Amino acid sequence: MMDLAGWHPIAAATDVVRRHVFHGQLLGREVAVWRADDGFVNVWENRCLHRGVRLSMGLNDGRELRCLYHGWRYANRSAGCTYIPAHPADAPARRICNRTYPGVEAAGMIWSAVAPEAEFALPEVLVGTDPLVLRPVSVNAAPGVALSMAEGLVPGGSVARGASVLFGQAGLVVFVQPLDAHRCVLRGVLLRQPEDRIAALRDHDGLLCALREGIEAAGEAAPAPLEVSFQPVDEALGQMPARGVGGGELRVQVTRKWAAAEGIVGVQLRALRGVLPTFQPGAHIDVHLPNGMRRPYSIVNAPGEEGYTIGVKRDDAGRGGSICLHDAVRQGDVLAISAPRNTFPLRRDSERVLLIAGGIGITPMLAMAQALAVQGIAYALHVFARSAAHVPFAERLEGLAVTRHLGLDAAQTGAALSGILSGYAFSHHVYACGPAPMLSAARQIAAAQGWTEEAVHLEYFANPEAIDDSSAFEIALARSAMTLQVPAGRTILQVLQENGVDLPSSCEQGACGTCVCGVLEGDVAHQDVYLSASEHAANDRIMTCVSRAKSARLVLDI
Amino acid sequence: MKLYDFELHAECYAARLMLSLLGVPHEVETVDVYPEAAHLTPAFRAINPLGRVPVLEDGALRFGTVQGILAYLAAAYDTSGQWAPDTAVLRGEVAGWMAIAAELAATAGQARLIETMFAQGDAEAARAGAEGLLRVIDQHLWFGEVEGRDWLCSAPHPTIADIACFPHLVLSEDGGISRQDYPAIRRWIDRVKRLPGFTVMSGVFATSSAL
Repeated sequence: MMDLAGWHPIAAATDVVRRHVFHGQLLGREVAVWRADDGFVNVWENRCLHRGVRLSMGLNDGRELRCLYHGWRYANRSAGCTYIPAHPADAPARRICNRTYPGVEAAGMIWSAVAPEAEFALPEVLVGTDPLVLRPVSVNAAPGVALSMAEGLVPGGSVARGASVLFGQAGLVVFVQPLDAHRCVLRGVLLRQPEDRIAALRDHDGLLCALREGIEAAGEAAPAPLEVSFQPVDEALGQMPARGVGGGELRVQVTRKWAAAEGIVGVQLRALRGVLPTFQPGAHIDVHLPNGMRRPYSIVNAPGEEGYTIGVKRDDAGRGGSICLHDAVRQGDVLAISAPRNTFPLRRDSERVLLIAGGIGITPMLAMAQALAVQGIAYALHVFARSAAHVPFAERLEGLAVTRHLGLDAAQTGAALSGILSGYAFSHHVYACGPAPMLSAARQIAAAQGWTEEAVHLEYFANPEAIDDSSAFEIALARSAMTLQVPAGRTILQVLQENGVDLPSSCEQGACGTCVCGVLEGDVAHQDVYLSASEHAANDRIMTCVSRAKSARLVLDI
Repeated sequence: MKLYDFELHAECYAARLMLSLLGVPHEVETVDVYPEAAHLTPAFRAINPLGRVPVLEDGALRFGTVQGILAYLAAAYDTSGQWAPDTAVLRGEVAGWMAIAAELAATAGQARLIETMFAQGDAEAARAGAEGLLRVIDQHLWFGEVEGRDWLCSAPHPTIADIACFPHLVLSEDGGISRQDYPAIRRWIDRVKRLPGFTVMSGVFATSSAL
């Protein structure tokens, strides 16, 4: 009887070489197994979520696996989709995530299970050994038949743990990996390192090949299909995502906090258990702070990296979020964060990308630069800072195409931006994050030098405009079938939330783009800095945290 | 130089790959093997009495088998001397693998022609023949990795033997032969794809860059 819920070796560690995708199978499920450059071994269902093409044909770039068919990219560890080439300007929903199987590297093999009932435990026979893994030998015979014949063919063989045969004296263990009902792989292991490694590998390979010949020659009839215990599909996958106003759905631990530059701390966050959801370059998380505040911070990670790293600049004149993170949060603390949200997506179909960072605005730019570098897209990162000591994450900047512009005043910054932004051509894109005056200057200079509005992407820390909330108007919610009044002094977002309409929000000052809502009727008085001038003119979206109505009534698509 | 070529033909791909790896400028004349069977016309038989592609023409010289084309290109245009090495051991090894490549053409290659171009023959028998060869090749390449050898022959670089075998192995799935059971062959395919000058064909894609 095969051990359906148990763990089986599905590959040798040496099968899963770097920048390669191994094609495996266990109990009828095909898997694509790939090792990222950080050593992590991913075991994924061998099927792209898009059109079902085998991911074992895909490309392993060391951090992401790219499907060969339409180029969907999936991240190391989380298996989430990070980029869809057919939608270059959009961030893929983070729920687009490959089915993964557990994978453990132990005793020179990769172990996995279809529906494990318990955590992986190394088979007792291998505990404390320094085994030599033999060449895998695939057999066209039912796993159960192979198992019983293997026992019978070699004197002294006995079944151990339901899935392996122990050949007594020689110190040889053979695991029978069930591929499906009528095929299996003999995975032999020598419990001790022999004196002549290659001779031992050849001798035992001969033994296993002979065993295969014996099993296949016996020509047993194919047995009834294996009974596989199916793990039901996660119910949430078939539903609209839950919308939490708080958004504190993840628990993370501060695994490292360090002075990343003058006045800036780096904070590394790891999941308490499991794997954190995928992020894309430009994404941010909302961090719930011990003082009750919730603040968005951009993720600086490279593609496929474990955990999230953020950079926080101390702002003594701010509302207190950065001071709390600097002074109160310590290594080892557990924090609640939102899942990553991306309102600043990076196109990866550009011929050339300019990244402009002012001060702590370097954080999303770093994530973008690292992604572009991995993918081999031409880019240039320009960092503006007061001095070299004010530039954080030096270790990440190493090896990137970075130019530092240090200690410049406003006029010098403008001149530098003019130089950087010269030479616009089709399919060039610029992304900038920094203080509002710098972004305004960048927007003007880019426009003057012929950059189209679609090619200029800006992320503000905060909305520099004074918000006028003196108007009063009515909102009709087309999908929720409600009509609500927005009085002077209150925002649309507040009125929605007070009336039980869930809309995610983050910065609540018209800078981040999280609380966007579609507009079906009425004239919008835009007050945000997230949308561009032409997007404002289109009058089809509204940032509900700051923008209001010019007309007496707005019909919203919610 | 001129290559009489059919894009979907595995052995034509071997010739194109060799020309690309060596960087030899050439022109291509397409022979519509399928569905027109232009290789069997009297006009083409005047070029190659065997009635097959690829055919390589270099001035007055003409080579009408893939083995001949690869051997000639390596001898005449390879300044490095690596593709058709000169030592006794490597000559023997190359000749042996060229024979295996011909067996692959008759099994895995034939299964592909039956499945994709409606050639006559027994696809199951062709696949069964291929399985025996693929098992041996996978074993050979696996022990090669253990012993520090990346290619079919014992040289520390690829030879025309790798190029002769590559198309039949990389296109095996067209003929219904999965490579799931041959992990060492799959890794060797990645190595071939990373050679400078590698070229693709319909169904054969580039891979990611090496670390």
